Amino acid sequence: MAMRRQLQLNTHISAKFNQELENLKHSVLTMGGVIEQQLVNTLVALQEKAPSLAERVSLNDSKVDVMETQVEQECMRIIAKRNPTAGDLRLIMTVSKTATDLERIGDEIARVARLVTLNKIPDSELVFGGMLDIGNRNVAMMRATFDAFARQDDKAAILAHQQDKDIDRVYKKVLEQTAAEIQLNPGDINQWMDVLWAIRAFERIGDRCKNICEYVIYLTYGRDMNSSSMKKTVKKLLK
Amino acid sequence: MLKLFEREILSVDEISKAQTGIDVRDLCVHLNGKLVLNNINIRIPKNKITALIGQSGCGKTTLLNSFNRMNELNRNHQCSGEVWINDRDIYNRKERISRLRTQIGMVFQRPNPFPMSIYENVCFGLRIQGETNRRKLDDSVERALKNAALWEEVRDRLFDSAMILSGGQQQRLMIARALALEPEILLLDEPTSALDPLTTLYIEELINELKKQCTLVVVTHNMQQAARVSDYAAFMHNGELIEFSDSDSLFTMPAKQQTEDYITGRYG
Repeated sequence: MAMRRQLQLNTHISAKFNQELENLKHSVLTMGGVIEQQLVNTLVALQEKAPSLAERVSLNDSKVDVMETQVEQECMRIIAKRNPTAGDLRLIMTVSKTATDLERIGDEIARVARLVTLNKIPDSELVFGGMLDIGNRNVAMMRATFDAFARQDDKAAILAHQQDKDIDRVYKKVLEQTAAEIQLNPGDINQWMDVLWAIRAFERIGDRCKNICEYVIYLTYGRDMNSSSMKKTVKKLLK
Repeated sequence: MLKLFEREILSVDEISKAQTGIDVRDLCVHLNGKLVLNNINIRIPKNKITALIGQSGCGKTTLLNSFNRMNELNRNHQCSGEVWINDRDIYNRKERISRLRTQIGMVFQRPNPFPMSIYENVCFGLRIQGETNRRKLDDSVERALKNAALWEEVRDRLFDSAMILSGGQQQRLMIARALALEPEILLLDEPTSALDPLTTLYIEELINELKKQCTLVVVTHNMQQAARVSDYAAFMHNGELIEFSDSDSLFTMPAKQQTEDYITGRYG
């Protein structure tokens, strides 16, 4: 079975290095907080059909892009200056990859927000309800993911990872409902295409959160979660 | 816009006169008839750590030695230009060299404790200055050893010979000896090259703490050490200053191709 390593950030001889790693980890959580708020605002905008709130979400997306650049630059600076190894290096790679995934999540959220801004919210109660369902599941998964990341909790990461299965299930159902709606109103295909993209964007958020959970496992065990050597460990943690 | 990381380091162009610890202007040094430093202009920031990097023989140590006029120990030494510290050109004829060297401490590659007690090693400089008050000496020794992170290890054996200390402890003793005179500038010539990696990290951490009280200039062959420990870094080649900037920039995006080649191991 793979060996678990709890990374201690504050035990280096260099206090400055401790601080740098702590700040780096904190920066991802700050970025995650902004993203979570963006998602919640998008859901509210969707539910209340509030284009002004959706517009604000779209505008705020550039903030997330800037944050990603800052995190990337800091990772590069620390690698160049500190020559990190083992757990420290894994943390920096994890932070860098997480920042990229968070930025993509931001893009997906902005895509859904645009649907509200353009007033293309689907009339179908089933599809609309399905979208909100995926969105709410996304919020729950995102919170569980950030919590697992903050605590470097492997078990919590695997449990959060599992939540994507439910999102995929609902996504499949909503897709079928959307296809049925398109067949009923083939003239509105352009509007339905935007809806399809938005539903797809919601589904991708779950995938990105899943990636982040995998990085947490990589950080803790130094191995890819899907590798054969991790199967036993994952099974044990799921019990 | 939300700033995730705060940077306290100014770029070299932003360093004002008041923030300058050592101001080197048009410095040329000839040793044994050979031009060793060629027209060096550099403003070393106050209360920061500046690393000098470059190949062997590029003039790093000569530049370091210019800051406390150690080069003058070589009889075939010629120097032109100015080195300003505290609004005074240290190469001015009226400048007293002994006074200068109390302001500027120096630590060498190999620890060189005198064959006397730990206490006497630390207060050696003060005694040379004529200090005889026992209480003042005691206070200075304690303060210097605490600042050099050695006090806890030697407080019960201050009057034992300094020669029994380990390499890392001896090097910290050398730093304490320099600090006892409360220098404004501390010059370190490869201070950790004779030490093991862990002791090196302790000394580096100590260096980082010391910048609160003095300006530090470190010569090192270890690029990683320069990157880790310094706030600013200067790359020298063949007696010329090729690039001087904050080390974040120098080690991630150097301005000169020559610097990039050197720090990435493509040189020569």
